[in-house]
Amino acid sequence: MKTDFKTWFASLPAVPGVIACGVRQANGKWGGFGDEKKFPAEKIEKVLKQFAELHEPLAADFYPRWTTWAFEYGQLRFVPRPDKWLLMLLVSPETEAAQNLDQLSEKFLALSAK
Amino acid sequence: MDADRDYLAAVGDAFLWLSENTWQIHTATGATPALAAVETGKIQLAILDVQPAGSDVVELINQLLQQQPKLKVVVMAGTATEEKRATSLAAGAGLFLEKPMSPEGMKAIFQSLCELAGWAVPLTNPAARRGVTITDLIHIECQARNSSVLEIFREHSLGRIYIEEGQIIHAICGELSGEVAFQKLLGIAGGTFELRDFELPPERTLNRTWEYLLGEATRQRELSEFRARASGMVSGSAAVSTEPAGQASELLICSGTGEMLYQWQCADAAARLGLLQKIAQRAETLIPELQLGKLDRLELQLADGRAILQPRADRLVFARVADRAVNA
Repeated sequence: MKTDFKTWFASLPAVPGVIACGVRQANGKWGGFGDEKKFPAEKIEKVLKQFAELHEPLAADFYPRWTTWAFEYGQLRFVPRPDKWLLMLLVSPETEAAQNLDQLSEKFLALSAK
Repeated sequence: MDADRDYLAAVGDAFLWLSENTWQIHTATGATPALAAVETGKIQLAILDVQPAGSDVVELINQLLQQQPKLKVVVMAGTATEEKRATSLAAGAGLFLEKPMSPEGMKAIFQSLCELAGWAVPLTNPAARRGVTITDLIHIECQARNSSVLEIFREHSLGRIYIEEGQIIHAICGELSGEVAFQKLLGIAGGTFELRDFELPPERTLNRTWEYLLGEATRQRELSEFRARASGMVSGSAAVSTEPAGQASELLICSGTGEMLYQWQCADAAARLGLLQKIAQRAETLIPELQLGKLDRLELQLADGRAILQPRADRLVFARVADRAVNA
């Protein structure tokens, strides 16, 4: 993993409104940050895996650049990359993070993991 | 009924004061004591929190009405959503209201409760009806088999709806009359309305049931809102995109059970429906763990636009929106 990706990913929790973030690497390894009480590491991993499964049929039909699950109290964004990396961002609505979701997604797509 | 004891005490005191001590108020913090209170047969009006402790609100409404079919039920929510409103009203609630945040709000709710229960309270100030929609008021009037004339304003009078003994018998809106006028009046945004004493209309132009007419109005409003949202013209509370306005290129609307209600340029409706049902089914099991509330929609950013999926309990909606060409 390149340092610039690591640095960028580690900076995500500091963006106001980010509740949790996670990434699935091409080799299947998972990592993430989140509120220790609401979103401990094992919960992030579980959510990532479950929604990644749901992402598969959508990807097969539509080839989305990203998918966003909009809930009453938060938005969950998944950004798949051609190199098989998958980013998950969980943000509170009407926050800086929510407003900048597209830019954060574009940044992830632009960052090379190799 | 509400799990918050402080809220219960405050609301109880307020209703007692507003009713000039004529109401007898029984409070309950969960479904079991609420059912026990209604079983005594002394309760005429039940006010429920949208998330009752120990039960689901729809289930609780059903149980209460089974115990006492004439009971008037009102559901109150901290934040009212269209889905919560629709499921509560469909289950038999007479009103769905947001919890009051001010003394004025409390007075408005008190007046609405009196109207629903058929308890006489003069209603002279239209502002007092804040929080009650025109649909709510028609629902109340028809369910109580009242006779009245509802006048709708936006700066000046736009039209009238005539209700006789709980049946909507005539509607007029400018040059329009009948069902077209009725649907137009219910689709007006930002208007106000006044309930007037009944008078005979110049003609009778409506003979469908009020349930059908209100259901059709809801369907048309949802369709129009969805089209607008899909075209990027308005943003919902959980809107997730700030993309420029686009053109809807595909639209499918089904009932919660999968019956197709509307489709436009949908090449493979069965496949879209299958996807919506799969998302709805999986979301039901995965989403509660997230504690993020109900799923509003799933949005896919595509190379040439967006796809929006709304797997709600009462509606399954798929829309595809193409980005508008900059120099089109």
